[in-house]
Amino acid sequence: MGRRVYLDHNASTAVHPDVVAAMLPYFSETFGNPSSVHAFGREAREGLDTARERIAGFLKVRPDEIVFTSGGTESDNFGIKGLAAARGRGHIITSRIEHHAVLRTCETLETQGFAVTYVSVDATGMVDPDEVRRSLRPDTFAISVMHANSEVGTLQPVREIGAIAREHGIAFHVDAVQTFGKVDIDVDAFGIDVLAFSGHKIYGPKGVAGAYVRKGTKMASVQHGGDHERRRRAGTENVSGIVGLGRAVEIRQRDMHAEASRVAALRDRLWAGIQARVPDVRLNGHPTERLPGTANISYRGVESESIVLGLDLKGIGVSAGSACTSGSVEPSYVLVAMGVPLEWAMGAVRSSLGRSTTAEDIDYVVENVEPIVRKLRSAMPVGAR
Amino acid sequence: MRYSAVLVDHFLHPRNAGLMREPDGVGADEYDGCGDLARFYLRVREGLITETRFQTYGCGPTIAAASAASELVIGRAVADLAGLKAREVEEALDGLPDDRKHAADVVAGALRAAALDALGRDARGGTAGGA
Repeated sequence: MGRRVYLDHNASTAVHPDVVAAMLPYFSETFGNPSSVHAFGREAREGLDTARERIAGFLKVRPDEIVFTSGGTESDNFGIKGLAAARGRGHIITSRIEHHAVLRTCETLETQGFAVTYVSVDATGMVDPDEVRRSLRPDTFAISVMHANSEVGTLQPVREIGAIAREHGIAFHVDAVQTFGKVDIDVDAFGIDVLAFSGHKIYGPKGVAGAYVRKGTKMASVQHGGDHERRRRAGTENVSGIVGLGRAVEIRQRDMHAEASRVAALRDRLWAGIQARVPDVRLNGHPTERLPGTANISYRGVESESIVLGLDLKGIGVSAGSACTSGSVEPSYVLVAMGVPLEWAMGAVRSSLGRSTTAEDIDYVVENVEPIVRKLRSAMPVGAR
Repeated sequence: MRYSAVLVDHFLHPRNAGLMREPDGVGADEYDGCGDLARFYLRVREGLITETRFQTYGCGPTIAAASAASELVIGRAVADLAGLKAREVEEALDGLPDDRKHAADVVAGALRAAALDALGRDARGGTAGGA
């Protein structure tokens, strides 16, 4: 098999070998149900508690403010629906570029009588805190804005938005799935009440995630059953997964800052290389306030999926900004919200780098992008350019 | 890989891509709701296709479908091409996934339009069917 380069870390990551090692005993000898009173259960409980403490320590919060879930999507549902269920009615402010886990949750709440305002973003994909302020209503009970967008990587001014929420006594929910373990999060300084994070974006396993819930935040449970997670989220805990998440967080705490600068330099090398070799390209997202490993690049007049296929055939994994399914091409709603013209939005390709990415990988990608794009452009009708 | 080896080969090495000077027939088709489009140019001698060129904008399967179809039509009668079915284009690619069937549709549509254009020119006294 030829060279393989994975540049889709915003989609998922390989589980760190140390994480796998930490998890393994929890599939066999330490398999008990952490709710059981016997030794088997107590041992599993110990693993659960240690992971909770590690994650709480990383976020500088209390262990009882961490709730484990099955994924980032559940964490967002848990947070937003939980805040809404505790009120029963009222108004939520969110942005147009949230992950579907937030957008569709809010849309569902609209059908149940809640009101939602979707604030816009500027050309760099950033929310304007003043627009959030202007959107406040007397019945606004929650603001939900992501920390960073997965497609373009733009970091949101969560500190400013959090200050607005706090000033008005409104709960602030932040989807931090793309930033947790990658960039600093200070829930106190940012005024965050509920924060969603996930395991498989940070070299942990899939199917495990969590939420931080500030003590005293008014929330109602949306999943009913046993008394797990202090009656906030029913269901036997995914102990092995949670242990893995705990270990992954520990590794991130140690490595994230060094890795962020290394990965940001490689990301800039990718953009510089492509810019130098391929005409008619643009970088989407904020030039500086951006996830260290994310580069969303548009190739004007080329359809992004054909570039993704061309790169896939060279062993390179990236993701397309537009998706062509069942005969309808949808440009990314994020790029549309940013006002990226259609001819550019249709040709957007996201590369997201991570801990395994090397300079050689980047150079290999740059070498391969140029002929693919040139060939695709040469087969294009003039009118489509 | 969700695509056939034939499809991948046509995508990587498209046959007959490009423009044609003074063609005997030109036709294009665009897929509704989808940005995909294809344009075909035909050279016709004595009612038979002797040469074709195409230009396309779309996902990988659309490019591959155009390339495969460009080989498929050589030597065929223009009148026959006017009734080209998408299924035939798809078969030339060894199949398409359900969500990519439109690639064959848009290419077949463009070829039918090019064939009709050639027939029309011929009826008006052009060279498409005669000489």
